[in-house]
Amino acid sequence: MTGDRPLGLVLLEMALLVLLGPLVTGVIQKMKARLQCREGAGVLQPYRDLIKLLRKGTVQADTVSGFFQSIPVLVLAATVAAGALVPVVRVGPPAFPLGDALMLLGLLALARFLTAIGALDAGGAFGGMGASREMTIAPLVEPVLMMVVFSTALTAGTTELGALAAHRGTSWIVAWRAADFLGFAAMLVLLPAETGRIPVDNPDTHLELTMLHEGMLIEHSGPGLGCMLLATHMRQIVTLGLVAALFFPALPADSAGTTGLLLGAGAFAVKILVLALYLALVESSYAKLRLFRVPQYLGVGFVCALTALALRIL
Amino acid sequence: MSAETVHTIIDDLGALLLFTMILIIAAAQIYRAIYAVAAQSLFIAIAGAVLAMATGNVDLWVIAGITLAVKAMVLPWVLHRVVQRMNVRREVEPVIPVGATLALAVLIVVVSFQLSASLGQVRQAITGNALPVGIALTLTGVLAMATQKTALTQMVGLFASENGIFFTAMSVTQGMPLIIEIGVILDVILAALVMAIMVLRVRSTVDADIAELARLRG
Repeated sequence: MTGDRPLGLVLLEMALLVLLGPLVTGVIQKMKARLQCREGAGVLQPYRDLIKLLRKGTVQADTVSGFFQSIPVLVLAATVAAGALVPVVRVGPPAFPLGDALMLLGLLALARFLTAIGALDAGGAFGGMGASREMTIAPLVEPVLMMVVFSTALTAGTTELGALAAHRGTSWIVAWRAADFLGFAAMLVLLPAETGRIPVDNPDTHLELTMLHEGMLIEHSGPGLGCMLLATHMRQIVTLGLVAALFFPALPADSAGTTGLLLGAGAFAVKILVLALYLALVESSYAKLRLFRVPQYLGVGFVCALTALALRIL
Repeated sequence: MSAETVHTIIDDLGALLLFTMILIIAAAQIYRAIYAVAAQSLFIAIAGAVLAMATGNVDLWVIAGITLAVKAMVLPWVLHRVVQRMNVRREVEPVIPVGATLALAVLIVVVSFQLSASLGQVRQAITGNALPVGIALTLTGVLAMATQKTALTQMVGLFASENGIFFTAMSVTQGMPLIIEIGVILDVILAALVMAIMVLRVRSTVDADIAELARLRG
C-alpha cells in the first residue's frame, strides 16, 4: 500500500503533538491574560506544572480499586493514539492502515469514558458529579462532531483525515461550498465544548458548581494527575488539528523534502494559533452557561451540522 | 462573473442566511436576535448586489442599496431603541423549549428541500439551493414568530421571514419590478413603526405583553 505519510513521519507528528500540546494551553492562557489586561504566566507554565507534578508523590483515597492507578496511563495512551491520526506536517493518506476520523473520535470518547470511570471509582462526591455532568454533555457533542466530519467526508469520499485534508487542497474560503460554512459554524460552536472551555466548562476553576472536567481530576495526584493534564492538553491540540484538517487549506502532498515539512509545520502552527486565539476570545468575552442552558447552546451546533448535511445530501 | 461563480456565491450566502436564522431562533437575549437579523439583511443586500452584477439589472442595485440602508441599519436601530425605551428584561420567553424549536427548524429545512425537489423544473434565475433555502428561511421566520411570547421577538421573526421572501423572489425572478419591491419595503417600514409604537403604547398604558392579551375577551 502506498501513501504519502510513512510510519516515521506519523510517529514524528505524534511526538510533535505531545510536545506542543501544553504550549497551546500556555498560549491560550497568555492570550486570555493579555485580553483581560493581566500580565499572566509565561507560555511555558503548563510544562513547569507537568514537571512539578511528575516529581511529586501520589496520595490516593482508601476506597479506590487497583484499576485507579492505571487510569491516567490509559487515558494518556488513548489520547496520544488519537494524535497519530491527525495530519500535521504533511497531508495525504498514510502508507499503512492507520485509522480515520471516526477512530479518532472513538479514541477521544474512550479517554473520556476512562476519565469518568476513574472519577467514579474514587468515590468522591466531586468526582461523581463531574463525571455525571461530563457524560451528560458528551453525547450532545460527539454525534455533532461526527456529522461535521461526515459533511466534509461526503465530498472527499473518505473519512481518513490525511486524505480529507489533501482533498481540501490549498485554496480556502474561495473553494468553500455552502455546506462548509455551516459545518465550520457548527465546529466553532462545538470547539469550546470539546476542549473543555467557557461557555461550557471552565478550566481555571476548582469550584464545585462550575466544573466538569476538573471535577473528575480531583482525586488524582502526582504523576497520575500529570498524565491526566497532559492528556487534556493533548486532547485540545488533537481537536484543533481535526478542525484544521477538515476546514483549513493544506499544502499539496508532493511538497517533499525538508523545506516542505518545515513549511507544513509552520502552516500547522499558524492554523492552531488562529484557533487558539478564537478560544481565548470566546473565553474572555462570554460567561459560563448554566448547566441546563448548555444543551440549548449545543443545539445550535447540532442544527448547523444537520443543515450542512442536508445541503450536501438533498 | 460567470454563471458558475454566481451560483456558488448565492449558495454560500444561502448557507450564511440559514446560519443567522438558526442564531435568531436560538438567541437567548433579544439583542443577539436583533444583531442576527441585521446580519441577515446585510447578507440579503450582498446577494442582491451579486445578482445585480450578474444580470446587469439596475433595479436590483437600487433594491440592494435600500435593503442595506433600511433593513440592515434603520430597522435594527428602531428595534434597539424600543428595547432600550421599554427597559425590558433581556431574556426572551419562548412558548415551547428552544430545543423543540430548533428541532422544528431542522424539520422545516429538510421539508423545504424535499418540497422544492418535488416541484420539478422551476425556471429559476439562479439554479442550485436558492429556492429551497428561501422557502426554509420564510417558514423558519414564521416559526420564530409563532414560538415567541413578546411582541419584540415576534417583530424580529417577521423581519427574518420577510428576508426569506425577498431572497426567494430575487433568486427566482431575476428581480421583481422595482415598484413592487419598494412597495414591499415601505410596507415593512410602516409595519415596524406601527408595531414599535403599539408595543410602547400597550406597555405604558396596561403594562402587559402579547401573551397576556390572549385572555382579553370582548
